[in-house]
Amino acid sequence: MSRNLRITNNKFIDQTSRISFKFDGKTLYGFKGDTLASALLANDIHLIGRSFKYHRPRGIMTCGSEEPNAIVQAGNDASMTEPNTRATEIELYEGLEASSQNCWPSVNFDIGAINNFFSPLIPAAFYYKTFMWPANFWKLYEYFIRKSAGLGKSPTQPDKDIYDHRYLHCDVLVVGGGISGIIAAKTAAKNNLNTVLIDDKNNLGGTTIFQQNECFKINNSYSNEWLKKEIETLNSIKNLTIKTRTTLAAYHSYNYLLARENLTDHLDLNERKDKIRQRLWKIRAKKVIIATGAMERPLIFNNNDRPGVILSYSIKKYIDYFGVKCGQKISLFTNNDSAYETAISLSNSGVSVNSVVDIRDRTNSLIVQQAEKLGIKIHWKSAVVNTNGYKKITSIEIMKLSDDDTTVVGKKIKQECDCLGISGGWTPRVHLFTQSGGKLKFRDEDNVFLPDKSELDQISIGSCNGDFELDSVVKNSVISTNKFLKVNNNDYENLKINSSNEINKKNIWLLPSNKPLGKTKPFLDFQNDSTANDVKLALREGFKSIEHVKRYTTTGMATDQGKLSNMHALGIIAETADVKMGELGTTTFRPPYTPLTFGAIVGRNVGEFFDITRRTPMHDWHAKHNAEFENVGQWKRAWYYPIENESIHEAVQRESKAARDSAGILDASTLGKIDIQGSDASEFLNRVYTNAWSKLEIGKCRYGLMLNEDGMVYDDGVTTRLGENHYIMTTTTGGAANVLGKLEDYLQTEWPELDVYLTSVTDHYATVSICGPNSKKIISKVIPDLNLSDKEFPHMSFRNALIDNIKCRVMRISFTGEHSYEINIQSSYGKSLWEKCFEAGKEFDITPYGTETMHLLRAEKGFIIAGQDTDGTMTPVDLQMDWIISKKKYDFIGKRSLYRSDTIRDDRKQLVGLLTDDPNVVLEEGAQIVLETKKQPIEMLGHVTSSYFSPNLNKSIALAVVKNGKKLKGQKMFVPMKNKTINVTITDTVFLDKENKRLNA
Amino acid sequence: MLNYNSTIIEAKEYSDIKISEVEPTLKINLRGKNRDFVTKIGKELSIILPTDPNTSSGNKELNLLWLSPDEWLIYSNDKNNLETINSSEDKLFNDISKTKLGSVTNVTDHWIMINLKGPKIFDMLSAGCPFNFNKFKYSKGAVTQTLLNHVDVIIHNKDINNLNLFVRRSFSNHLWLWMNDSARFV
Repeated sequence: MSRNLRITNNKFIDQTSRISFKFDGKTLYGFKGDTLASALLANDIHLIGRSFKYHRPRGIMTCGSEEPNAIVQAGNDASMTEPNTRATEIELYEGLEASSQNCWPSVNFDIGAINNFFSPLIPAAFYYKTFMWPANFWKLYEYFIRKSAGLGKSPTQPDKDIYDHRYLHCDVLVVGGGISGIIAAKTAAKNNLNTVLIDDKNNLGGTTIFQQNECFKINNSYSNEWLKKEIETLNSIKNLTIKTRTTLAAYHSYNYLLARENLTDHLDLNERKDKIRQRLWKIRAKKVIIATGAMERPLIFNNNDRPGVILSYSIKKYIDYFGVKCGQKISLFTNNDSAYETAISLSNSGVSVNSVVDIRDRTNSLIVQQAEKLGIKIHWKSAVVNTNGYKKITSIEIMKLSDDDTTVVGKKIKQECDCLGISGGWTPRVHLFTQSGGKLKFRDEDNVFLPDKSELDQISIGSCNGDFELDSVVKNSVISTNKFLKVNNNDYENLKINSSNEINKKNIWLLPSNKPLGKTKPFLDFQNDSTANDVKLALREGFKSIEHVKRYTTTGMATDQGKLSNMHALGIIAETADVKMGELGTTTFRPPYTPLTFGAIVGRNVGEFFDITRRTPMHDWHAKHNAEFENVGQWKRAWYYPIENESIHEAVQRESKAARDSAGILDASTLGKIDIQGSDASEFLNRVYTNAWSKLEIGKCRYGLMLNEDGMVYDDGVTTRLGENHYIMTTTTGGAANVLGKLEDYLQTEWPELDVYLTSVTDHYATVSICGPNSKKIISKVIPDLNLSDKEFPHMSFRNALIDNIKCRVMRISFTGEHSYEINIQSSYGKSLWEKCFEAGKEFDITPYGTETMHLLRAEKGFIIAGQDTDGTMTPVDLQMDWIISKKKYDFIGKRSLYRSDTIRDDRKQLVGLLTDDPNVVLEEGAQIVLETKKQPIEMLGHVTSSYFSPNLNKSIALAVVKNGKKLKGQKMFVPMKNKTINVTITDTVFLDKENKRLNA
Repeated sequence: MLNYNSTIIEAKEYSDIKISEVEPTLKINLRGKNRDFVTKIGKELSIILPTDPNTSSGNKELNLLWLSPDEWLIYSNDKNNLETINSSEDKLFNDISKTKLGSVTNVTDHWIMINLKGPKIFDMLSAGCPFNFNKFKYSKGAVTQTLLNHVDVIIHNKDINNLNLFVRRSFSNHLWLWMNDSARFV
């Protein structure tokens, strides 16, 4: 550490605890409380990285989140490395390793720097232009453009850190812990409002907390001392929560805000274990007070990007807060009074200030007078026209401005320096205000956009609202807060405030130079390397809107979102195009305010919590019996049960053969179940389903199709009449929640006259389905008291039963075409019932089968699956299910749409069966079907919806939708695949047991 | 005999948070609109149906939670045996549903009841629940239907720092794991 760059008169850095860290492999030292940037500066390291396009050497430019240049790769573990982190925002910790970005082989010697010399060949929008002309050259450029795209390296391994989310509700959220925010938070909390104050730094106090200057006093104390006492009183206030190291990321409608809290990033590595790294706060605030302050602007002149060129107020923070001198011979270049504060701070800390170059005519505000008293030399009405030095600034060139400020005149003065502070005035941080939908207004006098109108319950106070002088900041913050919160807090009445107020204001967006513009590099967007020349080129090429210029030149499109560059780009466009800045508007400020890690966005929804999972009561049995699971919605359903090393195909062939030859057992608990009661229940079903329900006897079941209003099939299932006014409806697994919502919606809005009540009982019942020729024998063992004769208990009927005194419902229904029973029992006994059935079926080799076998078995019978064979464009007629549409009913959902000219067209896609000429070839689901393969363009007539190899038929079968398919039975068609064309024939949809003999077997 | 199986095995205790399943407990979903329904329920249960949104009423044995203008949930404070559950359901069903006053549906196994106790339970909930508990926390008997880690839940404020949470059985295992994960970081 260069001893002479660190001074010891500060209160914020603990100079007794030394911290070692590495930058570009070199071990360096800093102190607790340092940022990486302040520690590097204390080590006299200015060269941090290379710029994006020209690979120019770049250094630290700011002390905050707006930093465009000092972005580093952080983290010692290659798998966990984090790119594009701002050195100004990284708190130093023991063991930190960081490295430069965008340079190879090293930041000191970077091959890419050759781009700087080729810069005339790579103008603005160079890369769009390569698309355009000459067309063939894109192939040549592409490799190099892709290679040079992006900054930093991504981590290669999953993030090991833990992140989480928290919801927070408060009366008042104050964003920003500077002097205004502290006044507002204290006022709110003392008036019994539940208040949260957040600040992105580790300490409260903003810029005032290091402002110890004779010109700025409150009640005769230095402003920093007064504020320090205010902060100390905050701890004793109830209702106030303070969160430091918390950045507001986004401000959405209805005062919904997202803030990211850093919990462990500042800790030593060994203190972080098992702790949450970052927490995303989801905040609902009744009222929001934005006190985010202002950012200092740079000045735009030739070579304003060299390492050592730093914003003037940042130099002040480095000396006053961190105790770090940014240089030994510092020059300052300004258009406003704030650089004089820096000059005085430096001078008081023993740093020699070469001179202040000020573009204004002589002014004599208090602060300027104080600087002059200290003997600081001032070049009035002058400008820096150039800087020299490659890896760090070595000198500047100063010239006088002409009377009209359009050019520079007189003799060029060369001044040696090792640091240049620049100040172009201040930009209020209105980003959050505009994110929330607020509209801005423009103040001509000092060229700032300020908050104007907002629909939300919020205000902006302090310098983000355009108050830049200490007395107006304090007074207006107090008045605005009291009015906004409708309180009358008089803690801040009668404050005596001394403040040096700026008298003379002047601004030149692009400073004149002694060289032609084309020969200079006045940088606007430091991170994306766009210059004032690029913006002017865009205007010459016809772009007028700021949004177009932004995208064409990439100004403001870097990771800093142009926090420093946007205002100057706007100013230069306005000047060049001769329009008023206020009319030009701004580009859109989008969240997040600073980049968020993916970890913070995702929170704990990783690994086992990535998505919610639903389990059936029999889940553990399936898992124990080696089931593979399939995701159906959020359910985990048993897919197939491989024995030893069976493939899915082998397992499914075995399971489906067993189900047809003897007995199979399926967990059907996931089907949606809706209990329907009420005196109008039958009428309700008549309106919901396409078929008639009034005559369904108690104890009988019926299959129903539900349509959407557009006449397309929406859901299907079996509904059972349990009593006079009592039904139980089943829905598809995936459709359960939507069906219930839709039906409840109809009852509440369309049919309030119906006396019908719906209750979901999906999770109350476990469903065991047993099918196959031996199913009856198994059921008779499980429920000996139940009469299972076809006469007493025919297909499509239900009986109540008791199993070991537990009530259950047995339905004789079939989705496989086999003789089949479904037992519904309350879920707590589901697993035990399953085991009992399995035990009873052992003598018949009962085989558990999963969803894949279920799909195969139903396809053999031509039964549809809503959502697989239908896609929201299929009517019942398209499915060849005309029989299910009642002609007698007055109405049902979707009826009217079934008779539209488009739905009665003959040549709609219709459900058909498909057989391959080669019975061993299994079609791919989704494959296209054509009639001719030679003709171009080839007409796609349909596609395969379900396809399997059936072991029971010993051939491949498929369902498909084909244009005019109903009339094409026997037609030969083709399914062209990547390597071959498969010959197929259109058939009936039922492949097995057309006479339904097996149902009663 | 068929065996009873619970989705959650053991109660868990963390500093300031205790999570435990309370099952089997009687749960019945009630729906109805007219005055006779309201009177009848009051007589059957000796509890007045709560009509203010998100409130509850109850006595030593039972709680009645308001779910919507025509929907309520009955649940028992203590664990019940199967006979009690069945007979309660049958009686209500015969007196309400069969007489066309409204609907009575047994949802005993549809919901799993999880009891949360301790001064930090609301911090744990705030990790995955968008609901504002600031007032709810201090309102004994308050009810809310909200989301916890994207899962539908009903939360009943039994007492200070003592909540009964109802989650659908199929989600209960996942939510249980999630709650235990969140409790680690409170």
